[in-house]
Amino acid sequence: MLLELKNIQKRYGGVSALVDGNLSVDAGEVHLLLGENGAGKSTLMKIVAGMVERDSGEMLWRGHEVHVKSPAEAAAIGISMVHQEALLASHLSVAENIFLGREDRLPFGFVRRHRMIEAAGRLIAEHQFPLQPEWRVEKLTPAGKQLVEICRAILHGSSLVIFDEPTSSLSGTEAAEVFRIVRTLRERNMGVIYITHRLEELRSIGDRVTILRDGRTVHAGALRELTVDRIIQHMVGREVLAIYTRQSLPPGEEMLRVENLNERGRLHEISFSLRAGEIVGMAGLIGAGRTELCRTLFGVDPIDSGSIYVGGRQVEIGSPQEAVQAGVALVTEDRQITGLALRLPIACNVTLANMQSICRFGFLDGHAQNIATVDFITRLRIRASSPRQRAGRLSGGNQQKVVIAKWLFRQARVFLFDEPTRGIDVGAKVEVFNLMDELARSGAAILMVSSELSELLQVADRILVMRGGRITGELPGRTTQEEIMRYAALETQSVVENGS
Amino acid sequence: MIQPAPEKAVEAQAQGAKKGRELVVLQKLLPFLSLTVLFVALAIASPHFLTSTNLSSVVRQTAVINIMALGMTLIIIIGGIDLSVGAILAMGGVLGTMAMEKGLNIPAGVGVGILTGLLCGLVNGFLITRLSIAPFIVTLGTLGIFRGATLIMTNGLPVHRIPQQFTFLGEGTMLGVPFVLWILVACALVTHLILEHTRLGRYTFAIGSNYEAAVYAGVPVTFHTTAVYAIGGMLTGLAGMIEASRLMTGQPTSGEGYELQAIAAVVIGGGSLRGGEGSVIGTLIGAFIMGLLSNGSDLLSISPYVQKTIIGAVIILAVAMDELRKRRSTSA
Repeated sequence: MLLELKNIQKRYGGVSALVDGNLSVDAGEVHLLLGENGAGKSTLMKIVAGMVERDSGEMLWRGHEVHVKSPAEAAAIGISMVHQEALLASHLSVAENIFLGREDRLPFGFVRRHRMIEAAGRLIAEHQFPLQPEWRVEKLTPAGKQLVEICRAILHGSSLVIFDEPTSSLSGTEAAEVFRIVRTLRERNMGVIYITHRLEELRSIGDRVTILRDGRTVHAGALRELTVDRIIQHMVGREVLAIYTRQSLPPGEEMLRVENLNERGRLHEISFSLRAGEIVGMAGLIGAGRTELCRTLFGVDPIDSGSIYVGGRQVEIGSPQEAVQAGVALVTEDRQITGLALRLPIACNVTLANMQSICRFGFLDGHAQNIATVDFITRLRIRASSPRQRAGRLSGGNQQKVVIAKWLFRQARVFLFDEPTRGIDVGAKVEVFNLMDELARSGAAILMVSSELSELLQVADRILVMRGGRITGELPGRTTQEEIMRYAALETQSVVENGS
Repeated sequence: MIQPAPEKAVEAQAQGAKKGRELVVLQKLLPFLSLTVLFVALAIASPHFLTSTNLSSVVRQTAVINIMALGMTLIIIIGGIDLSVGAILAMGGVLGTMAMEKGLNIPAGVGVGILTGLLCGLVNGFLITRLSIAPFIVTLGTLGIFRGATLIMTNGLPVHRIPQQFTFLGEGTMLGVPFVLWILVACALVTHLILEHTRLGRYTFAIGSNYEAAVYAGVPVTFHTTAVYAIGGMLTGLAGMIEASRLMTGQPTSGEGYELQAIAAVVIGGGSLRGGEGSVIGTLIGAFIMGLLSNGSDLLSISPYVQKTIIGAVIILAVAMDELRKRRSTSA
């Protein structure tokens, strides 16, 4: 065995993150680590990667007990981790990031820049990654950044690479690229631990699987012997409908109409409309312009030409403030960066977009604020100890519910959901879908951007497909993934945006 | 809908949270406890400490920095910083006293000082929000501009011909307590009210905690940021008049280095330069800790050189403790 974890325990203050974590990985194996958010997957992997120290239990590396106290120590014995949100120095180049901490050093702290770029170039060419060593990392897409981390792991001669939800921010083709890379690692007889939320990608990648629930390993075994339903049962500890189905409504009046919207270099002649009670899906690859469209409709980026109508009236949206006033809400794809003030209480986050309703002459009505927040906590089943709990201490799914509560409290009528289920566990996903359905039933119009085609097929009434900043197709809700991909991926895409 | 998590896990979590909360409360009280310990220690160490003359001199010495620090609290919570407050203080004091010299009555003169501070704050806020330049750079620039302008206006000479009664603002007593203490309490109450009970205060925390999220929630970020710098300027203008009253001159070179003392008071009181954290009570405690340290060193005839060193160390110690607390409470 390459790595064995036995009865690992870890507490944070009074909260047990891991009660009984067990895992074993062999060289030349892709091992899937599954579990809901909060099940302890990340903590277990952080222990392996030296980012967190265990309280008790055994960690055997090639048969010997080890205590890794820092990521550097982990790297030294051959363990590296590719993070969900790549941890890179964004102002440095691809090559500099690959070699970060391992520069080919000369005396007095000088580095051999040319040699470094050459070596990085060779590595990239060998694996046919769509990268250039001179590119600055900040210009890369999430997929590109992960490739840089993978390069780093390979270069460091790691024998075990941990992937923390590598595909959660990637489109279909990019995910396929990651799978290809993972397979090459396996062929080189390296061990791979792979954390994922996307159940449908399991088959194409894994050999064995370990499932965690509430800090315990509840199942370990060969993937072949498990059905997806069975896996979900292990993860949530109860029966869940593996396939969510939604009953469509007859669409009502038009809530949002976009005509010939242009934003130079990003969006071209975008026209579509949303009706009350409708959930319209938006498919496309990363870089197709879906997020850009949401940002533009929400006033974050300026419009070059075109018109927007909300509820039949033409509106000028030049800032998020104006968008919010017009009744448009954006649930962003990166809720920790643009969705929530993580260090503030839930109550502040819920009421932030609609302070006027809990203020009289600029003074806060704390009572009204609490009533509203408690109401949302119960209605949306947010698992929180009190309205004063910091948003940052909630799980991903519950954070997402707080973001949605913010817009419900604002009584928005047009909802733009950008990757609403990203980084959310199976149970919470269904709850988010149910919420979207309730919203639609109450007369809101919803645009749902998602890279998970199966989700779009489950939830959407119609599906728009974008490619290269244009809407290339409109499909009925009961279409197929192949049909969507035909419109989404007629051309191959580079991982760098704006072709730089 | 999905059933909520097994109850046991929820209970365990709640219990853990409770235990954690007690610890957090204790650690939040730490600055206050340190102030009390310092107070008691000085009372024991020096017989001159617990006299009304000495205590009121501590209050008078601290009031100027304290009032500036209140404004700085808002600015630091919104995620900014204002290095120009020392210069604003001088400009407010000089223009206010000049107005009196020109024949304005005392309240009107004080009003001129406050207005000057307000305008300087507006300039800072405007530059920061409209040109989107980092507050550190903008206020580093305006620090020079305001100070320079003040020196130009006065030719570098202090303003002297001030009505005698003006001394009451900084040195007078009301109901047996230094008048500045009443002003300080009033300013602190208003700032606390703004911060904890108004929309402006809530937006201040939100913008400082996560600027992007505030923008995406439709918060009028530009307006509220400018307002916060303006309030900071106003308080500094008032502090400038108090300083002028204590010196009985409008001194164009006054307030040098005060910005760092104001920032230190906020930081000792639990404010975070990352924004989103801080409180009026914390800042008051921070300012008084620094005031007591310097007063105590004087009473115990510790050299001013050692004094500086001690205060420097206290700043680092206070922030280190605070970081430790935060790390412990957020790692879960």
